[in-house]
Amino acid sequence: MMVLLAVFITLGGTTSCKSKKRLAREAAEAEYKSKVEQAVKDLNAILDDETLWSLEEKEARVQTIKDWNLQNAEVDDLLFQVEKKLARERAQKEEEERNKQEVQAANVTLEQNFNSIARAGSVMQANRIIDETLSAFESPNVPVLIIIKQNAGFNDYDRPTTIEKYLNYVKDQKKATEKVHDVKYNANGKINELELIKK
Amino acid sequence: MKKIIATLVIALCVVGSAMAQDELSFERKQAIDSLALEKVRDLSKYIKIVGTKDTPFSEANRVIDRAEELFMSDAEIGVSSLGSNQITYYRVRKYMEHLMRLNYDRVEIEWYNIEYVSDLQRQPDGTYVGVITIFQSFRGYDKEGNLAYKDTTKKDITVYVKRKETQIGGRTIGFWDVLLGDMRVKETTNR
Repeated sequence: MMVLLAVFITLGGTTSCKSKKRLAREAAEAEYKSKVEQAVKDLNAILDDETLWSLEEKEARVQTIKDWNLQNAEVDDLLFQVEKKLARERAQKEEEERNKQEVQAANVTLEQNFNSIARAGSVMQANRIIDETLSAFESPNVPVLIIIKQNAGFNDYDRPTTIEKYLNYVKDQKKATEKVHDVKYNANGKINELELIKK
Repeated sequence: MKKIIATLVIALCVVGSAMAQDELSFERKQAIDSLALEKVRDLSKYIKIVGTKDTPFSEANRVIDRAEELFMSDAEIGVSSLGSNQITYYRVRKYMEHLMRLNYDRVEIEWYNIEYVSDLQRQPDGTYVGVITIFQSFRGYDKEGNLAYKDTTKKDITVYVKRKETQIGGRTIGFWDVLLGDMRVKETTNR
């Protein structure tokens, strides 16, 4: 009787242990399946530009999916495509940042040159800075727009002038009362339109 | 009756809206007031540069071109002197050339008290017209550095500000064109 009881307990315990393992395996399989589905969904959304995530958020998502180590052919294929796409986006963003920094640096240089022309000790010195400044422009006739007032997204301008006339104006009047508002460049990196705003 | 009233209300709204578009906000009006004053101050600097004897000839000529651009094409500038009651009016370029050739070794010209005597007022054609007064102090010195002549002249300058449009880089740009009209002598004293 005791032997029978021991067999039952042993068998029962084994069955219960097997059931727990099965449950755990099923849970793991369900979790894996869910991760694969989520990964496929997210990666497709990134590929099709259907997310509102920033580039950094998309990169973080890809890293999370890679960390899951799903070893699924579909996910691996999508990861390959998405990583290529994000690399392109990263390169583009970095170039945009570089351009932005270059434009900001160019704006600072322009404003510094305006101030130097206004404060030049002689006509000769002012003319030298004018020539130097003009070299950044497509031609001396590049249009210069001066905003005198901004009102509810609407600009009031002074009569448009040219960069050569504007720089000479700064020299004659010995004042640089405008700052750079917008700069447009041609394909050769030369300025072909300049918008200033009254300080 | 209701239809008539509704039509009248709509008509009044349309007229009111059109009038509101013509009226500039206080801030925008202030901006064009300042712009016109600035043009007069710019002119004073150009006159000073041209009148200064050591200004290189090429620079003086360039500045005369810029000064001419400030004025309406037929504008005239009045010239007076203490020795005569006559006021002579010159076209802008002639006035500037006359200034360059003045028979003094050194000339000092200063403009001060530049202000509106008549605010910019909107005319039926949309042009804003006002009058700015200036005081011009003139000092002429001989070779020995002695003061040979001095006077102070009060002058009135009519200013015209008109909204215009131009195309730049494929965009239509609306701008305020400030043009100076005649510069009339009001009074000359020996101060």
